[in-house]
Amino acid sequence: MNWTSTVRTIIVCLILVVFHYTLRPLLAWRASVDFLIVALLLGSVRLRPGYAAVYGFFLGLVADSLGATGFGVAAFGMSLVGFAASWLKAVFFADNLALNGFFLFLGKWVFDLIFLIVGRGLHGAELAMQIFVWSPLSAAVTAVAGVLALSILRPLMEVRTQ
Amino acid sequence: MVSLVAVGLPATQTEPIAAALRRTVVAPLVSLQQSSERWRSAWAASGAQQLRADSLALAGIKQKALEVENSQLRALLGLGSRLQWGFVPAEALHSTAPIPSEELVQTVTITAGSNVGIKKFSPVVSSDGLVGQISSADPTTSIAMLYSHADFRASAMTADGNAFGIVYPHSAAARRGAEGYLLELRGVPARDTIAPGTLLVTSGLGGVFPRGVAIGTVVSGMTTNEVWTHTYLVRPAVNPSRMTSVFVLTAQRATEGTGNVWSAAGGASDATLKRIVAAGDSLAKQAATLEAAARRATLDSLRRATIDSMRRVLGVPVAAPTDTMAVRIRRDSLRADSVRRATAPPPAGGRAPVRPPGTPPATPPATPEIP
Repeated sequence: MNWTSTVRTIIVCLILVVFHYTLRPLLAWRASVDFLIVALLLGSVRLRPGYAAVYGFFLGLVADSLGATGFGVAAFGMSLVGFAASWLKAVFFADNLALNGFFLFLGKWVFDLIFLIVGRGLHGAELAMQIFVWSPLSAAVTAVAGVLALSILRPLMEVRTQ
Repeated sequence: MVSLVAVGLPATQTEPIAAALRRTVVAPLVSLQQSSERWRSAWAASGAQQLRADSLALAGIKQKALEVENSQLRALLGLGSRLQWGFVPAEALHSTAPIPSEELVQTVTITAGSNVGIKKFSPVVSSDGLVGQISSADPTTSIAMLYSHADFRASAMTADGNAFGIVYPHSAAARRGAEGYLLELRGVPARDTIAPGTLLVTSGLGGVFPRGVAIGTVVSGMTTNEVWTHTYLVRPAVNPSRMTSVFVLTAQRATEGTGNVWSAAGGASDATLKRIVAAGDSLAKQAATLEAAARRATLDSLRRATIDSMRRVLGVPVAAPTDTMAVRIRRDSLRADSVRRATAPPPAGGRAPVRPPGTPPATPPATPEIP
């Protein structure tokens, strides 16, 4: 990845982070869009697994610093998701919007799974409700928003092939 | 690993890190989030504010209508106090559905009927002047024919009694909108000239309307084909479209007349208004006086309690009140004989006090037993 594509990726990720803190509070949906996950996955597939984990860690720290409870949980979850995304990029990531959407859905759902189990301390029916109802809904919305963002920002993006 | 360590740290250690991040790196994002949430709350509140503004506008409209009705009722109240007797107060109910062929209000329904003495041809008046006459009277309601009706006629004269004529509704060709409520004073002798602005009242001739009910003011003279008489355009004193409450004069009152009631209407209503305002002022003054007295009493009791507590803290005995109102009241409220008994108690040991011979014993006589 040359420096031009690096700068482009940074710009796109910054735009997504700004979206996360402007559009999401404005919409205030119950199943909200997680632009941070979109930014994480878009960046991670262009990085090596170790760097992707560090990238996820810093993004998670940003999320944790603005969260009410469970400092470090988002950092842990995003590190794992970023690492896995970078490791699995050869399998999943291709220049196909539907596949990218599924990739985003999976990333968001896994992140929510980690976040809920490690950080929230939910049990029983409440945990099941969150995992099987609200998290998939949020993941679906995130996938749709991510696909839209990819479509809009396609001129800025460059897919790493090696 | 680092993130797992962060998860395991206690809140007392993680909170400073989070706060430092919020103050430095994440500060722009925090401000962005705040702005977004402010926008969202403004968006959510805009609907409620619009509703509140609409409610206020509606309340303003209602208040205006209430003010108008209040002033009309106040004027009617003044008229009632001047008339004193011989009238029936009632409401004028306008037709809710407009009649296409009639652009003017020509009849109204009156909420009083023959049960309270209303008869056909009874005069209908308001605080401003003549309204019309009853055309039919049912037991509980009546129909009043207004002066705008084509069949209405009334004998009129100038307020000084110099000129007489007959009042008709204005000619049908010109009856459009507000101009339709104009009247014509016909049959005024050619030798009498009436200046614009002259007040016209009923003359009492004909026996339907009592003398002195205000009809309106002369606007201008009209050009007609008549040679020996003049016709004048008259602006009525009453607008039927705004009329809500009326008085129906009884037959006896119509026969005996109403005197100079409408000519003195303005002054009397002003006097009534002044009396109402003065009563309101006196009530406000009384309330203010009571409030000031209560405040003074509270301050006095607080001061007294503070002084007593200070004395107790310092060990100074609390002085008995020497010249207080309470003492005076207590002394005054005691009867003289009880004071005497209290100051001279019977000595212990069973010895009765020495009394001069022949005087009755100090102890009251025993109460006779009731069989």
